[in-house]
Amino acid sequence: MSSVQTSHQAVDVQGLWKIFNEGSNNEVTALSDINLSVKPGEFISLIGPSGCGKSTLLRVIGDLTGATRGEVFIAGETAPVAREKQLYGIAFQQAALFDWRTVRRNVELPLELQGLGKKERRERALELLELVQLSDFAEHRPWELSGGMQQRVAIARSLAVDPPLLLMDEPFGALDEMTRERMQNELLRICQETGKTIIFVTHSIPEAVYLSDRVIVMSPRPGRITHTVPIELGERNEDTRETDTFYAGVTAVREALRGRSASASPPRIEEL
Amino acid sequence: MSTQTAAQSRRTGRFSGIWPPILIAVLFLAAWQIFVVARDIQPYLLPAPSLIVTNFFTDLSLMWAAAFYTGTTAFLGLVLGTVLGLVMALLASRFIVVNHLVTPLAAGLAAVPIIALTPILNNMFNITSRTPRVLVTMIIVLFPMFVNVTRGLLQVKPVQLELMRSMNAHPRTTLKVLRIPNAIPFFFTGLKVAAPLAVIAALVAEYFGGPQEGLGSRIASAAANTAYGRAWAYVVASIITGLIFYLVVVAVEKWTTPWTGRTRST
Ligand SMILES: Nc1ncnc2c1ncn2[C@@H]1O[C@H](COP(=O)(O)OP(=O)(O)OP(=O)(O)O)[C@@H](O)[C@H]1O
Ligand SMILES: [Mg+2]
Repeated sequence: MSSVQTSHQAVDVQGLWKIFNEGSNNEVTALSDINLSVKPGEFISLIGPSGCGKSTLLRVIGDLTGATRGEVFIAGETAPVAREKQLYGIAFQQAALFDWRTVRRNVELPLELQGLGKKERRERALELLELVQLSDFAEHRPWELSGGMQQRVAIARSLAVDPPLLLMDEPFGALDEMTRERMQNELLRICQETGKTIIFVTHSIPEAVYLSDRVIVMSPRPGRITHTVPIELGERNEDTRETDTFYAGVTAVREALRGRSASASPPRIEEL
Repeated sequence: MSTQTAAQSRRTGRFSGIWPPILIAVLFLAAWQIFVVARDIQPYLLPAPSLIVTNFFTDLSLMWAAAFYTGTTAFLGLVLGTVLGLVMALLASRFIVVNHLVTPLAAGLAAVPIIALTPILNNMFNITSRTPRVLVTMIIVLFPMFVNVTRGLLQVKPVQLELMRSMNAHPRTTLKVLRIPNAIPFFFTGLKVAAPLAVIAALVAEYFGGPQEGLGSRIASAAANTAYGRAWAYVVASIITGLIFYLVVVAVEKWTTPWTGRTRST
């Protein structure tokens, strides 16, 4: 629209406001003046207290609800165009599976809507179910699965059309610690192999630090970004969670959440 | 938590099977028989179960024919009313204007007493045919079908709609993939109400003249001839007919929608 960029940001949010019920007396300013640029292949976490607008931000980026003011671009396209072009996949806070479909056919849904053939659809779905370790449950119904398993089905579904951007709203919230760590590593592996950009909402500070290139700290009433904490952990491995850099990152995010401008030097916190 | 409730419902499921109602029915019938015999109650007040049963079996072949006639009327009305209810529900869920227009209309139709309607329809159509009775039944069936299916089409979880939107689904696709499957349990809820209601409607519609082959006509003529045992035997046949309609719906539902009632609240 404005300038001809050679390489676009994966996500570019400029001066975004979201006000629910504007003008009425139950008006809620869910997002105020959000500015956020995400580079292709970058892993961003959003963290902040309940009600600070994390889900709303994901929804606006995905064009599931309109912005009150401001602009959102995905890979240089406006949010509505990006949605039409299926430039992102989304995993919601609730699994949102269809009870009348088997697990496999839930994962097939986005492919079905794209008009992919039955056989290809099936193969791709089984591949994805293997990835989230649910191959044995392909022909089960969603209500036969635990909450964490349902959430993994939803993740598989969000990966189905192989979108360059993934929006994930607390996808690992319902998982036990072991499954959670395994899923985290799987997600990082997928990102590395496919170069996906991820915006990831979580309430877990260690999870945010472990996964992210940058942790975005938000605060409520009105929902806004207060800090950006860059994380430089390099290649993640089994020992990463034991390193001093990791602990420093956790501390920095915790301080930011408490609203303190941290003093520690590495990693630095950019006050906004 | 959810496994516990599942286990509980399975256990209560065994006790809420068919045996308790049968036991209660047997006890009730026994008490009724004893009461009528002991107090020497006249049949026009209350015939003994034994009298009803005797009449039931002496009239069995006529009763079959009557149940078949009324059952056919009920079935035709049920099919027509269901189809019409579905079409109206699809339109109502698609266009909000239609919804505002059609809902009061359907409610209005539901409020029309069948008694007021039947003689009019008898005059409008050929009274010697089945047509007015089928139409009455159709109108009675229409309302529960329309209301339930419309609710099923509209009461979709917001997050499921957002998912469809994220996949850039056309409204027609959303209807096919999400709304219609979501409405199926609601459809059966409506049908479970409508099916026995159709039998009642078909039967009551026979009280206003026309062919005399149905259950309703038989009850009326037996009562007019002071054959109270026979009248009651036909009432029993009517109950059985209604019950069969209901049970068929329940069976079809079990067979086609195994997910109904299993949804976890997540
Ligand atoms: N559809 C809506 N209508 C009105 N207000 C809304 C709507 N959706 C969200 N809000 C409000 O916007 C604010 C942010 O909600 P949001 O769901 O984005 O929070 P969140 O950060 O995701 O919280 P949580 O961590 O609990 O999921 C809340 O105050 C909420 O009440
Ligand atoms: Mg949320």
